[in-house]
Amino acid sequence: MTANRSLYRYFVSIDLNKMRLDLHTHSIKSDDGRAKVENYCKWIQKKQLALDGFVLTEHRQFDADSDYRHLEDEYGLVIMKASEVETDFGHVLVFGVNDDLLAAMDFTDIRLPIETVLDESRKAGAFAAPCHPGRKRVGLFAHYEDRGIVEGVDTVEVLNGGSIPGEDELSIEMAERLGYRGFGGSDSHVVSRIGFCATDFPNQQITDMGTLVDALYGGNFSAISMRPRSGD
Amino acid sequence: MPYGPEAEMTQPMDDENSKADLATVREQWVGIEFDWTTFEMSAPSMVAWAEACGETDPRFTDPNHHDFQAHPGFTTHCMSGRVFPKEFPQIGGGFGIDGGKRVEVHAPIRSGETLTATTTIADIFEKTGRSGTMIFIVQRMEFRNEADDLVSTVDWKMIKKAE
Repeated sequence: MTANRSLYRYFVSIDLNKMRLDLHTHSIKSDDGRAKVENYCKWIQKKQLALDGFVLTEHRQFDADSDYRHLEDEYGLVIMKASEVETDFGHVLVFGVNDDLLAAMDFTDIRLPIETVLDESRKAGAFAAPCHPGRKRVGLFAHYEDRGIVEGVDTVEVLNGGSIPGEDELSIEMAERLGYRGFGGSDSHVVSRIGFCATDFPNQQITDMGTLVDALYGGNFSAISMRPRSGD
Repeated sequence: MPYGPEAEMTQPMDDENSKADLATVREQWVGIEFDWTTFEMSAPSMVAWAEACGETDPRFTDPNHHDFQAHPGFTTHCMSGRVFPKEFPQIGGGFGIDGGKRVEVHAPIRSGETLTATTTIADIFEKTGRSGTMIFIVQRMEFRNEADDLVSTVDWKMIKKAE
C-alpha cells in the first residue's frame, strides 16, 4: 500500500479499520458503459466519496488486459477487475476470475446454467454471487417462483445503485427470508453514479482480488446505500 | 456479387435454434465490409450541425477560424447507403430500434475535404435486461480523408428483440 493511498483513505474513510468498496461498476470496456476508469477516480476524489476502491465488473467478459495500478497509486484507491455474467437465473457477479474459470465457461453465453457458474467459480477459487436479484427477468428471485431455489447461493447483491423502486426491497426481503448474506454495488455505467451503493468490510484490509475473495467467503460484510438525497 | 456469406443463413431464424444460429451469424458476418461511399464536407453543414448541438466554440462554428473543423459528432449523421449487407439473415424480431451511436475522433475533419466511408458489421451479441433478451448488431463506419488518414469511427447499434 502506498503512502499516497493511506493518506487518501484518512480523508475519505473515518474508520481506518474498515474497507468500503463499490463491488459493481462498469467502464467503457462494457458495451453500455460510458465511464472511463480514470474519470471514476477523479469523481471519487472530487466528491470526496467515502470509498476505498471499486471493482470493475464488465458485462460478459473478463478484461485481462487493462492495468490500472498507476491509477491506484495516483488516486489512492484499490481498483480490481471481475465480471458480470448472464445465467438462466439472472445476472451473476464473479470475483476472482482466473484462467481456469475462463477455460471452464463461455463468458459471452447469456444462457449459462447458474449451477455451472457457481460450481466452476468455487472450483477455480473464485466467488460468484447473483446481482440485482430483485429485478425482473435478470434477477435471481424473479426465477424462484417458477423454477425453485438454487442450491449453492449464499450471498446476493441486496443493494444495487441501478434498481428501480421495489427491486432492492424485494432483494432484502428475500435474502433475509432465505438466510443469504447481502452486499452492495452501484452498478454504475456513468461516472456520477459510482458509490451509490457499496459494501463495508469491517476490520479487514482488502488490497487485491485475493483478499476480496477471502473476505467474501468470510462473510463479514454489509451493504450500504450512499445514494444522494434529492437536492444534494 | 454477394457481399458476404449466403446459403442457408439467408433464411429467417426461429426461436428453437436461435442461439446456434446467432453464433453462426456472428462467425460468418462480423468483419464483413459491405458498403462504401463518400461525403463532401461543407462549411455550412458543419456549422449547422455544431449550432444544433449547442456548440459555441468558434473552432466548430466559425468557418473563418484558423482551426475550423467539424464538430466531433458530425460524422454520426452521415448515413451509409444500406443498413445491412445484402443477404444478411433475419435475426431477432421486428425491424429493430436505434440503439445509439458512439463516435471516436481520430483527427480533425476540415471543410472542403471528401471523406470516404467504409461500413462493416463490427459485432453481433446478445444481452438480457429488464426488457428481455435483445440482439445487438453493431455497424461500424470508418471515415478517411483524402490522405487516407482515419479521421472518425462511428459505431451504430441496432437492437432487435430476440424472443
